[in-house]
Amino acid sequence: MNKSQKPVTCIGSGAGFAGDRVDPAVALVKSGLIDSLGLECLAERTLVPAIKLRKENSKKGFDPRLRTRLTPLLPQAFQRNCRIISNLGAANPACAGEEIARLANELGFKKRRIAGMIGDDVMGLTQHIKWNKPITGQANLLGAHAYLGCKLMSKALEEGADVVVTGRVADSAIFAAPALARLDNEGDALAGALTVGHLLECGGQLTGGNYEPIAGSTKRPPLSAQEYACLGYPLAKIFADGHAQIGLAPDTPGIVDKLTCTLQLLYEVHNPTHYITPDLILDFSGVRFEQIGSNQIMMHGARSKGAPPTLKVAGFVEHPGFTVDIEIGYAGTGALMRAKFAADVLRRRVSLWPGMETQIDLVGVDSVLGKCSRDLRADPVEVRVHISAACEDTFAAQSVEDEVYALTLSGPAGGCSVRSERRARIEVLDGYIEPRWIQTELIWSES
Amino acid sequence: MSVGMRVGDIATGRSGDKGDILDLTLVSETTEHYKLLLEQLSPQVVKELVSPLLKTEVIRYELEGLNAMKFVFPTALPGGVYASMHAGLHWQKAAIWLLLDHELSASKLGAPLDESN
Repeated sequence: MNKSQKPVTCIGSGAGFAGDRVDPAVALVKSGLIDSLGLECLAERTLVPAIKLRKENSKKGFDPRLRTRLTPLLPQAFQRNCRIISNLGAANPACAGEEIARLANELGFKKRRIAGMIGDDVMGLTQHIKWNKPITGQANLLGAHAYLGCKLMSKALEEGADVVVTGRVADSAIFAAPALARLDNEGDALAGALTVGHLLECGGQLTGGNYEPIAGSTKRPPLSAQEYACLGYPLAKIFADGHAQIGLAPDTPGIVDKLTCTLQLLYEVHNPTHYITPDLILDFSGVRFEQIGSNQIMMHGARSKGAPPTLKVAGFVEHPGFTVDIEIGYAGTGALMRAKFAADVLRRRVSLWPGMETQIDLVGVDSVLGKCSRDLRADPVEVRVHISAACEDTFAAQSVEDEVYALTLSGPAGGCSVRSERRARIEVLDGYIEPRWIQTELIWSES
Repeated sequence: MSVGMRVGDIATGRSGDKGDILDLTLVSETTEHYKLLLEQLSPQVVKELVSPLLKTEVIRYELEGLNAMKFVFPTALPGGVYASMHAGLHWQKAAIWLLLDHELSASKLGAPLDESN
């Protein structure tokens, strides 16, 4: 049999963000179809609370949901020798490894080997980082993490890791790692595996989540609420030359077709002929999807444009103050008119604080698409007035919140259901670092 | 001739973001629909379409073999997603409706769309 006719690995995608559902990953492992499971749980800003936790306690700083996610998963995975690769390590992958070993032990599994991969934290290397824009003023650089590739994760797996836990890595690398050692020694083979990783990294977004079929198309009905509630997450058989079969486990709700795959291929990609990952620059223009069965797609044609000269760094800067985001509701006859009145009152009141950046609009009318919103066809029976304000300090934030509450006594009739939140003003900065400065290492733990 | 045909009647789409960059993807089922969208959604048309909301340039990428196109808006999300002044977080997830709800110009609609006449 030609080497390319048999898959070298079959990997599932069990999470696409830190708060993602836990049960789809368990279902994928229980299907027995996969030999590895990737869990992408670390958005850019998810690192910020993790960095703060580590500063308070040097043993913390990994994903606080680690136990919630892995407790139902580890027994199923260990029983089937299905390896888990995840960035649940966040700002502290070494301690995440220790914690997973402890958890494995508690669950009754001994001699399980956990590899924590460190080296993405580049706060000690800031002299070598080139930022896209200068860090200014009172801003405070909270942390800086480089996006690492799949090579060391692959090494950990080849050395017998049952779980590989990382901090900041490229999402696509998590899913390419189990294939790497078994791929043909050509750039396009790894390009294929990384493209699979890019397709899998958002979990249910490849299998019909965040997706609406074309309005005029009768080919396939939209998913029902029950199907969304039980949405299956994707898995991929990767072949040695980098082509792959992507799909759902049998009898699992979801949609995997050319449209869902194409949307995810191009998701958050800017130049599709030049998608930069730590391992390779990818060219997606030759990628093709072929429907080979129900919810089964064959993908081929990903191309490599060689390794990038630098790695991307995400830097986190915290500005003083808050963005406050407050709403007040109006219901019943005349709700829209009273809400518009209230918005007008708020504009007059906040004009008392010149220089404060604010945005005032109506939830249910124009709070999402602003002046591009569609016209109302009928008056809504309930509306919320929304104000966001960039506040320099707690005093300013409190003042805006109080102004909204004051509408309940001194504004149009029936102001109700007030809610508010304050968000830290964290900015993510892009930077670049040459790979030669980065020292990566595996820290092993055993149950 | 169909009156009031939307982009969303012949394409599906998704919004994405990285830093202050917004990106919108459209995919059609047929090459005819893809070509019609290419003709009607020039970068200039899209720039004007979103201008009440977004002050930004527009770059279009064409992926003929996938019947797909991308529109990239380099400075559409000043300060990134978390500096947004919209209600709640992630308003940009709905930004694809800026394109999906755009009505196609009837005078330019070709034969493949005349079936509902």
